[in-house]
Amino acid sequence: MSDHQGTGAPEGVIAPTGMGGAMDLAASEAETLEKTPGGPLGTGPAGKPRSLWSDAWRDLRRNPVFIISALVILFLVFISLWPSAIASGSPLKCNLSKAQEGSQPGAPFGYDGQGCNVYTRTVYGARTSVTVGVLATLGVAILGSILGGFAGFFGGFWDSILSRITDVFFAIPVVLGGLVLLSVVTSNTVWPVIGFMVLLGWPQISRIARGSVITAKQNDYVQAARALGASNSRLLLRHIAPNAVAPVIVVATIALGTYISLEATLSYLGVGLKPPSVSWGIDISAASPYIRNAPHALLWPSGALAVTVLAFIMLGDAVRDALDPKLR
Amino acid sequence: MGRYVVRRLLQMIPVFIGATLLIFLMVNVMGDPIAGLCGERQCDPATAAQLKRDFGLDKPVWQQYVTYMGNVFTGDFGTAFNGQPVTELMASAFPVTIRLTIVAILFEVIVGIALGVVTGLRRGSPVDTGVLLLTLVVISVPTFVTGLLLQLLLGVKWGWIKPSVSPDATFGELIVPGLVLASVSLAYVTRLTRTSIAENKRSDYVRTAVAKGLPRHRVVTRHLLRNSLIPVVTFIGTDIGALMGGAIVTERIFNIHGVGYQLYQGILRQNTQTVVGFVTVLVIVFLVANLLVDLLYAVLDPRIRYV
Amino acid sequence: MLLEVRDLHVEFRTRDGVAKAVNGVSYGVDAGETLAVLGESGSGKSVTAQAIMGILDMPPGRITGGEILFQDRDLLTLKEEERRKVRGAGMAMIFQDALSSLNPVLSVGEQLGEMFVVHRGMSRKDARAKAVELMDHVRIPAARERVKQYPHQFSGGMRQRIMIAMALALEPALIIADEPTTALDVTVQAQVMDLLAELQREYDMGLILITHDLGVVADVADRIAVMYAGRIVEQAPVHDIYKAPAHPYTRGLLDSIPRLDQKGQELYAIKGLPPNLMAIPPGCAFNPRCPMAQEVCRVDVPPLYEVSAHGEPEHVVAEPGAERVSACHFWRECLHG
Repeated sequence: MSDHQGTGAPEGVIAPTGMGGAMDLAASEAETLEKTPGGPLGTGPAGKPRSLWSDAWRDLRRNPVFIISALVILFLVFISLWPSAIASGSPLKCNLSKAQEGSQPGAPFGYDGQGCNVYTRTVYGARTSVTVGVLATLGVAILGSILGGFAGFFGGFWDSILSRITDVFFAIPVVLGGLVLLSVVTSNTVWPVIGFMVLLGWPQISRIARGSVITAKQNDYVQAARALGASNSRLLLRHIAPNAVAPVIVVATIALGTYISLEATLSYLGVGLKPPSVSWGIDISAASPYIRNAPHALLWPSGALAVTVLAFIMLGDAVRDALDPKLR
Repeated sequence: MGRYVVRRLLQMIPVFIGATLLIFLMVNVMGDPIAGLCGERQCDPATAAQLKRDFGLDKPVWQQYVTYMGNVFTGDFGTAFNGQPVTELMASAFPVTIRLTIVAILFEVIVGIALGVVTGLRRGSPVDTGVLLLTLVVISVPTFVTGLLLQLLLGVKWGWIKPSVSPDATFGELIVPGLVLASVSLAYVTRLTRTSIAENKRSDYVRTAVAKGLPRHRVVTRHLLRNSLIPVVTFIGTDIGALMGGAIVTERIFNIHGVGYQLYQGILRQNTQTVVGFVTVLVIVFLVANLLVDLLYAVLDPRIRYV
Repeated sequence: MLLEVRDLHVEFRTRDGVAKAVNGVSYGVDAGETLAVLGESGSGKSVTAQAIMGILDMPPGRITGGEILFQDRDLLTLKEEERRKVRGAGMAMIFQDALSSLNPVLSVGEQLGEMFVVHRGMSRKDARAKAVELMDHVRIPAARERVKQYPHQFSGGMRQRIMIAMALALEPALIIADEPTTALDVTVQAQVMDLLAELQREYDMGLILITHDLGVVADVADRIAVMYAGRIVEQAPVHDIYKAPAHPYTRGLLDSIPRLDQKGQELYAIKGLPPNLMAIPPGCAFNPRCPMAQEVCRVDVPPLYEVSAHGEPEHVVAEPGAERVSACHFWRECLHG
């Protein structure tokens, strides 16, 4: 039961859902039909066994949810690299005389309370979100997998220490931790925000990595490899890591969305990025006093934020469906 | 059972110390603990030095922590920025946040489980797809956006609610803020219930229950629901601590003077004692809630044995 | 006839295609009679049983044709509420894996007593007493104390006894046992099977025993139906089949049993794999694996021929209720070969 305590984050809650009923059919059919060798399960049309990854890829390519979210994400990455390709002018060039004006040529989303072009700012805001999301996820995934993986593999003393430390981090509410840590930071770059997310985010991944390494370690073929005298490093790299990496990828993809959302929340609370940085959180916060007269200044960055987070969460969801062999 | 509880309580001690120490260090090392003690302006150097001596801030940090925790266990949480004892702030703030949390939990239990059961029983139906999409949207839209939008629509445009909550913060006023606070967890509860129901629906014991000739409602309520809700109850239980600690955004939007509001003020004014005091209580709430959930687990699932 | 299945068709619609799980199955059971249904995984034996019980997952499952006559009523035309009353009271089912088939969070007493509460409207207290009585009847020691326990606290054999007790609770006319001993230790298998056979005699019930274990069949069954790819390929009284099978598939099954008098010889195995139910071979479904297959087997689906071990059968194609049938064009050669 010691694994159970302190399940603060809803890990694994975005459970195998799939968007429609197709998965249900396949799964319940698997049960009723007993196991039909040569049937739709496990082997391909040619009867050749496929790997988890190529199977997953075949599934993903046919999944419209995956295709749509991947396209959205590619678009986001594109505009964060070259925002000027679709938005002219600078996001910092504001004209108070146009404050709160609605949609017009050159400013399809209108102007905000400071007279800044909402369209330009929304486009440029993507860069902050994508940078924070991607870098924080990379940091969390690397740190979390290494710590969790080693703890799970070697077990014993370091494992219990790590478990206690993750418990400590889970006991601290994230937004609260962010407020405390970031309220004293004066640097106005994305780095403190990313650093904070890695600091507070790694336990989530380390718990997943630890669990899947322990599961993989108990597999018969790993035991067999061990009995045959495989070295620890070989066991880890060749036999355990490939099996443990799938859950980490899934959770990290979904977490990417939540980091983007968290950055916006912290910026909204005034401790993330601060003006003159461009971030959807800042814009939403700045627009909220004018909510009566210029709701468009609030709605456009909010919409962009929601679509971005949604895209990553749906991507993670689709990847989970594809990688979860239980649902096949 | 008794031994298990004792062991769990002992295990909570390092987690408690770790979490409070972490916050204590963050606030102390990075912030200026006496900033704000001289009101809105900066303290002059002499007063600052005097204050530091008075509060024992010239001592090493670990000593300050021990002294602070010693005081906490005698019921002295120190003084807030406005000269009020922190315990007084707590006495006014916690009831408000507890009411807010109760409203949020009720939403999770009633709406979340109901939606989860309906969609889980009808996987693939239009209702299911609609609710699923809705939960995805709710999860994706950050709470502060949901809050601002609901405030705009219900409070400003349609005038159904007052945009900000009065200092009394009655249950009636907290319905919409509670919904906002619950929103993301509500979506999780729906999805978790749905998955759990859909999985258990295909289980052998449900098939047995059908084969026994039980009416459908009995199969669902007595056999399916009982098993499916075990993980849901666990999630909701652990969510209590998260909701109370995560109320900062909601309380800020609706101007609710609860725990989150006080914490926000404490952080802005860099008042160590307010922040550490409130966080200490929140950590205790979180740990106790988790323990209770684990014990509840044993009641719900007879297969779990605590030794 | 207590139960008569006529020309039953069941298919499963999946996103990969339509799997034809049952393709025109007909069999019957009388009161006090035991019919063993034999076949590999995927032969449709369990799906047929689930269709009889009315517990098919629909969708993806669909009954596309046939009749299921039970005590002279066609179950497929009944309303769901009528159908429900038949389940448990008229016919009951024993499942393979008792651990997963019993509800883990309810005590066995509650699960047994529930039958009486729901179907007989008994009070919970009386139902509890009946549960103890039932557990005594299937010889579970210390029933009075154990009635409060949960499934995981029982051994495999004891759990299967509880499943049997649950099936017997309302003294149904028909019991369907789906591989009731497969999940058990060999030593316990015989005990459970004996208990089942004994209780069947005591209550004069019809019993459909679904199994792939030919050893079990010989001891308890009166008649055998062998299924392959969703069809019955041979049906006959148990002694006739063991003496001389009239279908090459049955022959293959019998030859693959290890026998003491052939120790040292290599065991026979039917070559190939069971067919994909989404693409059942044309002609006789067994032809790709059949050692006797001729050209006609790849073209013509064999009807159910009436079989007679001595002399000519009354009809060429069997009438309903024929004593012995085979779905092989060359049943004569098989019978005498």
